Amino acid sequence: MITDTTSRNTMTVNFGPQHPSTHGVLRLIVDIDGEIVRSCRPEIGYLHRGLEKMFESRSYRHNIPFTDRLDYLCSLANNLAICQAIERVGNVEVPERAKYLRVLMVELNRIASHLVFLGTFATDLGATTVFLYAFRERELLLDLLEAMTGARLTYNWIRVGGMPADIPEGYGERVIAFLNQMRPRLDENDRLLTHNRIFRARCEGIGVLKREDAIAWGATGPVARGSGVNLDIRKAAPYEIYDRLDFEVPVFDEGDVMARYKVRIEEMRQSARIVEQVLKTMPEGDIQTKLPKIFKPPAGEAYSRIESPRGELSFYLISDGTPNPVRIHIRAPSFIHLSLLQFMAKDIKVADMIAVAGSLDPVMGEVDR
Amino acid sequence: MDSLNGHKKEGYLSDFVNGFLSIFKGMGVTFVNLVVRPKITVLYPYQRLNVAPRYRGLFWLKWNEEKQRLNCVGCTLCAQACPTNVISMNKLGKGNHAGVDEFDMDLGRCMFCNLCIEACPFDAIYMGPTYELASYERNSSVFHIQVLAQGGAEAVRINNETIKAALAAEAEKKPAAAVHTAKEG
Repeated sequence: MITDTTSRNTMTVNFGPQHPSTHGVLRLIVDIDGEIVRSCRPEIGYLHRGLEKMFESRSYRHNIPFTDRLDYLCSLANNLAICQAIERVGNVEVPERAKYLRVLMVELNRIASHLVFLGTFATDLGATTVFLYAFRERELLLDLLEAMTGARLTYNWIRVGGMPADIPEGYGERVIAFLNQMRPRLDENDRLLTHNRIFRARCEGIGVLKREDAIAWGATGPVARGSGVNLDIRKAAPYEIYDRLDFEVPVFDEGDVMARYKVRIEEMRQSARIVEQVLKTMPEGDIQTKLPKIFKPPAGEAYSRIESPRGELSFYLISDGTPNPVRIHIRAPSFIHLSLLQFMAKDIKVADMIAVAGSLDPVMGEVDR
Repeated sequence: MDSLNGHKKEGYLSDFVNGFLSIFKGMGVTFVNLVVRPKITVLYPYQRLNVAPRYRGLFWLKWNEEKQRLNCVGCTLCAQACPTNVISMNKLGKGNHAGVDEFDMDLGRCMFCNLCIEACPFDAIYMGPTYELASYERNSSVFHIQVLAQGGAEAVRINNETIKAALAAEAEKKPAAAVHTAKEG
């Protein structure tokens, strides 16, 4: 289709929604001038399920499994965010051991999510081998998560007021064994991909997001930290037990695709550090607060924010004292990051646009809800 | 973090040489994986990996060997805990000896979220390691008590007989007890 809106030489092309490198059902309407992208408009809504409305007609506990379907690569982070919101509005205390277990599971899930990023992002840029290696490591991690939760993707393993079950026997040793295996494999990945001349040429200086833009557009997570914004909810507004843990927040100033990639790789190493500390310092004790069968929090509102692998994930919840919430709003990081595409993917090559979109690591389940 | 930064841009020739070497470094990694590391894939339909003990697969109803019946008493707490109305059941009898003779689960809607199992106070419902639940018809995704019960249709038959016998015994006892209290009064 040739349009006369911008220039006679520009062609408007649909990229997706069924394109393999769009990470789900993302449609990009791209104006191309030869090989150069003149403008790129993300079109969303193909995965809309009306989750926020569905939450209103179900009780608080019934809503938790539905949050698995938001960011399906890190569903425990969603469980944690909604449970925190419900606990805040209902003034529920969480036992100490449950807090440690939550952090343990969420950090393991973060590594799994970033491994998917590593694999798919490398595939977008033509390095298919990395995909296989990353998914091989992730498989070991999924075995660990399966041993704990019994599921491989939609875990649903955080409850209001605690956790449903303790870790199985010998779990700590298995996790440590995995981390000891993963660290050298990450270094190996550096040799294979990060220091590869071709990969660096494809990533460095592409899709630059300036620090001011990142702040102005509400970017969070690895996208913001790749642009030099030192913002991590785990440090800025510590939840659960993050204030007691020793870890670093990787920040890179370049703002390009490479910086975002490097943030995520480094975050995997930091998550491994967190997991080790949690396993060392985990206290004994209860894991679940006793709550009534029909849970009715008092009228009020609550806001919870956590650092999901993609950025700041927040749940805003209003209660009127009935078993069902009045309103739950989700601030999904992928949704906000997609709006950055329109000026990051401008006047670059088509192949670079795929790199830019991949570096945002959007999960469409979270964008459309 | 230093490991990620790599070499700085230098002169044209050294950049060229370093770039060339980086490809061989990467080839080294793939070579190690090709030759040294063991194969981890399995030929799926012929070979299978074991699932974790906590794996959330097909449901099963626990058989109580001592009482010769299923543990389920038909209290519908699992059905109330279910976010998607998967469970429907028919309660058999009332009071202490109550049980179920029908227990249908529409797994086409099921999220395998574990909430029903946590809600059960009688140790009656569990999730097992069966995972290939896809079928060609919608009706096949509804699992009846004959499939779900531990011990199958035969167990359900014994369960129904046990419960009916217990209910009949209780019904016989009751008038006697009523007469007894009437005398005292």
